[in-house]
Amino acid sequence: MPIRTIEVRERVMARNDELAAEVRRRLAQADVPSFNLVSSPGAGKTALLERTLDALGREMRIAVVTGDVQTQNDAERLARRTTRLVQAVVTGGACHLDASQVLESLAAIDLPETQLLFIENVGNLVCPASWDLGETAKIVIMSVTEGEDKPLKYPKMFREARYAVLNKVDLLPYVPFDVERAIDMALSVNPSLQIFQTSALTGRGMSEWFDFLRSQIRQHAAAGAA
Amino acid sequence: MHELSVAMEVCRMAEDRIGADASGRLRLVALEVGDDAGLEPDNLSFCLDALLSQPPFGEARALVTRCAGNVLRLDYLEVDDADPDD
Repeated sequence: MPIRTIEVRERVMARNDELAAEVRRRLAQADVPSFNLVSSPGAGKTALLERTLDALGREMRIAVVTGDVQTQNDAERLARRTTRLVQAVVTGGACHLDASQVLESLAAIDLPETQLLFIENVGNLVCPASWDLGETAKIVIMSVTEGEDKPLKYPKMFREARYAVLNKVDLLPYVPFDVERAIDMALSVNPSLQIFQTSALTGRGMSEWFDFLRSQIRQHAAAGAA
Repeated sequence: MHELSVAMEVCRMAEDRIGADASGRLRLVALEVGDDAGLEPDNLSFCLDALLSQPPFGEARALVTRCAGNVLRLDYLEVDDADPDD
């Protein structure tokens, strides 16, 4: 019989998940919480990070990995707000970051001298939901210039995320966006989602976001010391 | 684009299994894709067929079977073991 069948029965994401586990192990060893920021393009991931680096950059040691399909524009914007390393990953067409890219980026980051890692994923609410990067949690960012029904349209992403940021709330007087409806839809998809409301432009709601980041660092440091 | 990334990983797995030398003898790549896997099966088949028609492959095709859940699994491969000189 010339045709031979080879049974495989292996998950396609198995290799990525192994690499993600290694990322998670290294970050845990250094007690570094890490957040994978995901959103549609233009929701304000980079602006949120700019504001965060401006406010907390002297208080805590923050490293950033950015992913973009083309250009290092986001990394260059963020590098102007911090003296610490901003690692740029240009995916060259791929619609998401994968764990191997994050693992390579970690090699250039001084983890013992880092308290918090942000991974700014490619702007896309579909594909990044399927790739574990070894992060502590995914944070999905939506903005009031989008439809309230994003959680229903992209349920996998909102299920995978532990936190959500509703950004650009300074524009609420000018756009027909129903905050309560958006939150109801997000919680209908993921009832345990913790939601922040921010304006990275004006700073509204940012203090709650900053307190959240401080608490995450404290929790990881306490877990490491225990 | 998402499907293309997955298709590339499937091809890497297939090549790992059968070896680079035997890749030209690969005939079938069978996958299971769940309804909640976040993939469009037709797009995935298209991407796989495009990759499997290029070196180091050549004559392989994809067989994508839908199933329930978020399964995304490389199920089996078929390789032509016939001696090319026969």
